[in-house]
Parts: sequence; structure tokens; C-alpha cells
Amino acid sequence: MMTQPKFIIFSFLAVLTVAALVPNLSAQRWDRFTHSSAAHKKLDCSACHKVPTVNWVGARGFPDVADYPGHASCFGCHSPRTVFVGNRPAFCGICHVNPGPRGVARLPFPHRTRSKEFSSIFPHNVHQDIIASNFIRTATPPREVRFVRASLSLVDDDKPQFNNCAICHTTVTELPKTTPRIPSGMQPLADAAADAFVPTAGFFKSMPSGHTSCFTCHYQSVEPTANQCAGCHSLTTPYAESRVFPRYSLKFDHQQKEHAMRDCMTCHVRISQNADLKAMKDADVPIMTCSTSSCHGGKILEEIGRRESSMTEKQAPFQCTYCHTPDIGRFPVPPSHLAR
Amino acid sequence: MLGSRPLIAVVLVAAIFAPTIAAQNLGALEVAGRVRVAGKLEKVSRKRFYLFRGGFEANKALVDRLRTAEYTSKDCYYCKSKASPEFIAWLKAQDCESPYCRAISEEDTKAVPEFLAAYQKGLKQFRNKPDVARTWLTTNLTPSIREGFYNQQKSSIEKLLGGTKPIQSTMTDSVSVRAIFIDIPILSDKSEKFMISNIVPAEIGGKGIVWACEVDIGSERKVTFPLQIPEPGKTARNCEVFVRDLPACTATSCDPK
Repeated sequence: MMTQPKFIIFSFLAVLTVAALVPNLSAQRWDRFTHSSAAHKKLDCSACHKVPTVNWVGARGFPDVADYPGHASCFGCHSPRTVFVGNRPAFCGICHVNPGPRGVARLPFPHRTRSKEFSSIFPHNVHQDIIASNFIRTATPPREVRFVRASLSLVDDDKPQFNNCAICHTTVTELPKTTPRIPSGMQPLADAAADAFVPTAGFFKSMPSGHTSCFTCHYQSVEPTANQCAGCHSLTTPYAESRVFPRYSLKFDHQQKEHAMRDCMTCHVRISQNADLKAMKDADVPIMTCSTSSCHGGKILEEIGRRESSMTEKQAPFQCTYCHTPDIGRFPVPPSHLAR
Repeated sequence: MLGSRPLIAVVLVAAIFAPTIAAQNLGALEVAGRVRVAGKLEKVSRKRFYLFRGGFEANKALVDRLRTAEYTSKDCYYCKSKASPEFIAWLKAQDCESPYCRAISEEDTKAVPEFLAAYQKGLKQFRNKPDVARTWLTTNLTPSIREGFYNQQKSSIEKLLGGTKPIQSTMTDSVSVRAIFIDIPILSDKSEKFMISNIVPAEIGGKGIVWACEVDIGSERKVTFPLQIPEPGKTARNCEVFVRDLPACTATSCDPK
């Protein structure tokens, strides 16, 4: 039980501590910007963002939102007396590299390492409909045969170009980080066997980032236009954008000749049904497109047979390696793989 | 307190039925789109097909609407929109329905008046940047040329569906020429009747073709359904195929003949 003088001293110290913290708490409120505050949510996007920003020529090469909104957007509501706290006000650091009277330079826009506040709205189905065409273009008509590394083969630029998904999803140039996409609700049957498999960059396709591909058609005239931000951007719970590619079948190579000759929709069969990005779990290639094909069906069945045999004979479970690395190939065969 | 009871009841019922929902029978259908038109093998590629629950009987009103529907062909649409012969020729060269269907090259920009006008407008607007003016060319085309035909098709589809909701829709691809429907909920233990249709005519080999086909789908295995066009005077098995000669619209006359 605390004596009365001790209680008074403790209370006094507690009040002092809280009072000392209050300015810091207050300062912390200004060190990051959020679109989801009640006051910001009331504003139209165009109240702050201008399309294009004046720096577009140098920053992007095409008309774009390439910079932070100007001071008028902030100080229309925020009083400098409230937000200028300390020598390097955190408020200014939201946009400026060196907060201070002479710190004109601004951070890159958008700031890639900050949490994302918007998810994208993109109906694949509508886009697939409007770009519909029968034509497949071969890059170097007529097809020619050249010696490549002293062997006779078709060169890479003989691959057909499809005027659909590749408009936005291109082959990446640097090998991305990958992670196994662990099947949910399943436990592995064994530890992963050793495997030195390493994909190349050509295995992977990019996701559109920024306005580059969207503005090609939507900058003006076709809704949502560049000024209709909410047509594509939907405010969501802040999240960190991952640069890691999760994969079930790391061994799938988009650039492999037989794959590159096919229209993306041959395997991404549901893409022309997709009206909402949020409804897409992943790139969505149902195993059926491989397991019922003449190219891979036999090999997949063979591996499933070997797994079943190993289990029946109570041996170490066979780990599927035709499509998977052992991180995935050690899991039970899912029912989807058995459907015909 | 009373207010939360219905919610609890719903949660309980959902929990009881969850295993049933998870174990729902799912079917798959592959529509194969290589057909013979006047003796020539044609691909029904990049065309959207719709899947309806029930067969002809259940979708009779829709089939009747498809049978009597009027259609403005691609040629007639662009002719009426006063598209230049060069623009129409550009579309035809690669069987395009809109200017979005392929990249517009520098040569195309010079050869097609609509493209040239849009390019020049873009040059002025985008600070004399030829790359931006050309790659963003469609943003300076007139709406009727740009997305008018797509909008016409969309509105025809809505009108013909007349409130009938397809359970799925998907497109044929351009290489294997197949449209694949997967995860089709099968409500019966065995198989169930469905109807597939492309609703608006696919313009193939100078004809406008609409299929309405009945197909049995079960959960055992993927069903493959090859589209076909019957010989004149004959019928296609399980299909109503409405084949129309496409009206000839030329630069001198946009009225269908």
C-alpha cells in the first residue's frame, strides 16, 4: 500500500511524463501522410493531385502524376504553426528529402518503400473483349532459320507476339526473388529433398507498375481517365508491396518455345472471366490445363503414380520434381491433380 | 441481445453446411472452336461464349431472341460511322474489331486518315513527343471509331440476354481455339444440362454465326464440345446454329443489302 506522500509524488511524476510525451505524440502525427484520414477522405483526388504534374517530361517522358501535390494542397488546411515542429519538421519530410527552408528537393514519387494505401481496380474481362483479334503476329515474317550457337534452330524472335496480356505483362529482365507458395491446409509428407534448380529471369512476367500501360489508352477520353483516380484506385488497409514472386511450379518457363508459341489464355483460362483483380488468388492456371494436355499429362500422371507407389510400399514419399521444387513437391497430391 | 440471435443462427447453419458446400460437384467444359465454313476450316478464336444453366427448354426465351435478333455487321457499323476506307481496310487486314486489336505502326499512322489526325492532335498536346503521340494515339480518336463497335456489341448482348444471367463466360484463345469453363457447379449427382452461346454473331468466313448448344456436364471429367456448322438443310447435333449472310456495306452505301 502506497503512503500518501509517495502517491502524490508518483502522480506528479506520472503527469509530468505524460505531459512530456504529448508534444512527441503530436509530432508523430505529422511524420506520415495517410489518404484514409477523415479529412483527406472528404477531398476529391484532384483537390491535391494534378494530372500531369509539371515535371512529367523529365520524370517520365509521358504525361503523368510524377510529383507530390504542391504546398497549397497541404497548407490550405494545415497551419504551419501546428506542423512546423523542430528544426527538421517531420511534416515536411513526407515529401522533402531535407526538410528545411532550402530543402526544395523532393523524394521520388510515388515512394516505393512506403505502405501502399490503394488496391487496383482492373477488369481483365473487359480488356480481353476490346482487344479481341484473330491475328497472331510473328515478329520476323517470313520465318527464317539461323545458326544459333552452331546449331540449327529457330531464333527467339520467331516467337509470335500476341496483342493481349503482353501489353501489360512483359518478360522480366532481372531474376526476381521467389518463394514457394505453400498449399493451404496441407502438411508436408517429408523434409524437402536437395535441389539445385534455379530459374532464369525469362521464366517470369512483370506486373504493371505505375501508369505507363494504363495511360496508353486511358489518359483521356476512355473512362476511367487520368483524372478519375477512383476508377482504378480503391482505398484499402495499408499494406507493404511484396517484390517476391510466390510459386507453386517454379519450374514453369514462360519463354520455353512450346509455351511462348501459345496464347496466354491457353493456360490462364479464367482470365477472360475475371472482372475484379481482388477475386484473383494468383495468376490462376488450373492444373487441368497441364494435366489434361498431351504435352505434360503423361509425365504428371507418372509422378502421381510414383508418389502413390512410394506411399503404398511405405517408402520415403516420392517428391514431385517435374513441375515443382521439393519445397512443394513433398506435399500430398491435391485432388485438383487427379481430376481428368 | 435479440438482434444478435439471427446472426448466430446464420453462422451455425453456415457451419453445418460448410462441408457440403466445399464438397460441391464441379464440372469442366471445353468448347472447341474449329469449324468448317463453305468447305474451309475456320477458327472461332478470341470469341466470348456464355454458359447458362439448363438446356434449350429452360432457355427457350433466350433462344427465340437469338433466332430473331437483328445484327449490324462490323463493316456496316464502321461504314455508318463514316470511317475511312483505309481504316476499314486496316481493321480487315488482321480481322480486327477495334483499333485496340493490334499495335498501330508508323506506316499505319501515315496511311489511315483517322490515325494521322489523332497523331497530329497528340503531337500538339504532348509537347511534340512523337512516341507518346503514336502510342497514345487511340486517346485522340473519335469515340465512334474507337469503342463504338464494342459498345454496340455490349448493348446487343445485354438486350438479348434480357435479364438472363449466364453462370460463366469465357473466350476462345487464338492458338488452341478453345474456350474452357471450369469449376461449374453441378447441382445434381450425375450430370446436368447447360446451354452455351456466343449471343452475338461471330463474323467468320463472310457469315455471321450464333450458336446455342445444349451440353450435359458432370463432375466426372471435362466435357469437350466441338462447335460445328451444319451443311445447308441439315441440323447440328444438340445445337441451334443461326447462320446469316453478312450484309455488304461499301463506302458508297452503308445500308445493308
